[in-house]
Amino acid sequence: MVLLQPDPFLNELTSMFERSTEKGSVWVTLKRSSMKCKATRKKMETAETIEYRCLVRATDAKKTISTSLSARDYQKFQASYATVLKAHMNALKKRERKDKKKTAEPEKKQKKSEPSKKPASRASQ
Amino acid sequence: MVYIASWDEFAERSVQLFRADPHSSRYVMKYRHCDGKLVLKVTDNRECLKFKTDQAQDAKKMEKLTNIFFTLMVRGPDADISEASGKEQVEQAASKKGRGRRQ
Repeated sequence: MVLLQPDPFLNELTSMFERSTEKGSVWVTLKRSSMKCKATRKKMETAETIEYRCLVRATDAKKTISTSLSARDYQKFQASYATVLKAHMNALKKRERKDKKKTAEPEKKQKKSEPSKKPASRASQ
Repeated sequence: MVYIASWDEFAERSVQLFRADPHSSRYVMKYRHCDGKLVLKVTDNRECLKFKTDQAQDAKKMEKLTNIFFTLMVRGPDADISEASGKEQVEQAASKKGRGRRQ
């Protein structure tokens, strides 16, 4: 696990998205963390308030990177992160007329599955 | 784990889950480009909430929820998320304008 500064993290995240276009997935995890182990945290709880940061981890199953965000730089990161996602999440279906047919198909499947339950219940009776 | 079908239910319950136990909760986003799938997961290792989508419009909602979680995690579970949700409304208005232009 490599702990990076927010900007190098975003660069690395970008290349992860680029590497996984053909196959594979990218995971991004957000967690509230003090970056300290539980024992230290318990000691500190009595003395002073602990500074919590947002730990961001990303993996493409081959490589794992992480960064830690303070209250000062999270808003800037948040905006840049959204830009990276927007640029790379382009395989999702848009709401267009052509795609409406595709989205209608799963609905039909659901309708088909519902009546199929009824004959089964009749058979049991 | 069963996926939650409704976005609003997922968003509401995931924030509640985080606020109940900020120490052990995490927010995971998984994006699979080749299948065009996006999965969101919020768990505290006891309960697990998941949401799956292949729609681009849900990515926008996901972005707002991500912003809410950034705020909650940096500022604490008692942080005011109305600012983050206030930005949502501005973004929503902007996206509506964008749709109008395309037509």
